[in-house]
Amino acid sequence: MLDRDELVRYDRQLRIPDFGEAAQKKLKISHVVIAGVGGLGCASATYLVAAGVGHITIVDFDVVELSNLNRQVLYWEEDIGAKKVTVAQKKLSRLNPTIEITPVWAEITEQNASSIISGAQVVVDGLDKLDARLALNAACIRQKIPYVYGGVSRFRGMMTTIIPGETPCLACFNPEGPRGLGVIGMIPALIANLQALETIKLLMGQKPSLAGKLLRFNGNDFKFRIYDIEKNEACQVCSQGLLS
Amino acid sequence: MKAVITPGFSELIIIVNPAGKVTREGLLNINMPWLCAPWPEAREEGVCEAEVEGDTLRALLTTLAEAYKKAGVDFEPINPRTNDMDEDYDVLVNDKNYVTIPDGLNAKLKDGDRVKLKILWRWDG
Repeated sequence: MLDRDELVRYDRQLRIPDFGEAAQKKLKISHVVIAGVGGLGCASATYLVAAGVGHITIVDFDVVELSNLNRQVLYWEEDIGAKKVTVAQKKLSRLNPTIEITPVWAEITEQNASSIISGAQVVVDGLDKLDARLALNAACIRQKIPYVYGGVSRFRGMMTTIIPGETPCLACFNPEGPRGLGVIGMIPALIANLQALETIKLLMGQKPSLAGKLLRFNGNDFKFRIYDIEKNEACQVCSQGLLS
Repeated sequence: MKAVITPGFSELIIIVNPAGKVTREGLLNINMPWLCAPWPEAREEGVCEAEVEGDTLRALLTTLAEAYKKAGVDFEPINPRTNDMDEDYDVLVNDKNYVTIPDGLNAKLKDGDRVKLKILWRWDG
């Protein structure tokens, strides 16, 4: 049931025929985990909170630094030195007080990934390390929770939606790539908003657009490139033998 | 020169003028099917061949880009703006990064050289 304030707050999305009250109610009872509230996570968290996802867990082990402020728009100068999850919870709660926001001050590892994502309908990637992503990926496969991968650097970004048992997972690819290349702030915002949109579609029960597809955005030539990707039947994480 | 191409997980493995039959060397499947777009038979056979005009690494990469363009796939490892490797890709010759070999992209390839063209993922957040 949506109350009077919610009908007003979400009016612009309730007007969308494919969305409406039914979808809004689904969002209201949903739980999403956002792993990492840096450049990607700040943007995806903001839009998922604004859209009315009822329960959002934000996970990060970092504190706010001056060098974060070119892209991590939930943090301001006055927040430098504070825990990111604490600041993000306060600001997101001011944006939409009806949302339950659970801050978790932790680094995602193989040991804690499963317990952190337990009970979520969707996990949204906002991390900045491959090993943490692989731990999260494996936990999502084990618990059959969709995982929306996003990664950025410089003027470019990538994204795919991993549906356990259906699509390739992150470990299928032996992925390689450098870190710490720097990034222009609009790129994580762009990729994170696509992740948030994909998350909304998953919560609504719609077919996700990037399941089994890899999106690459190049801000140098402004091209979106989308490629089909398939499972690695020998993948140690998501192969059928291990899933069953 | 002849290039025998093996699409891998997130990469192409290319043997230049191989002396014998090229196999997939234990790579079980192809999970980026679009890598096979210019050579559909590679999906079944696992490997494919291309004829390259020129004998440099640059000539090889340019030939590959042209083949993908003809197949309607946007795959351009050499960035036309910088005339160097695009940052979405990396290339190794016999396991050495191209920046560490003499002449870089203009290095001449020899019979049996193994070129690995990798698609890079992005990890920053």
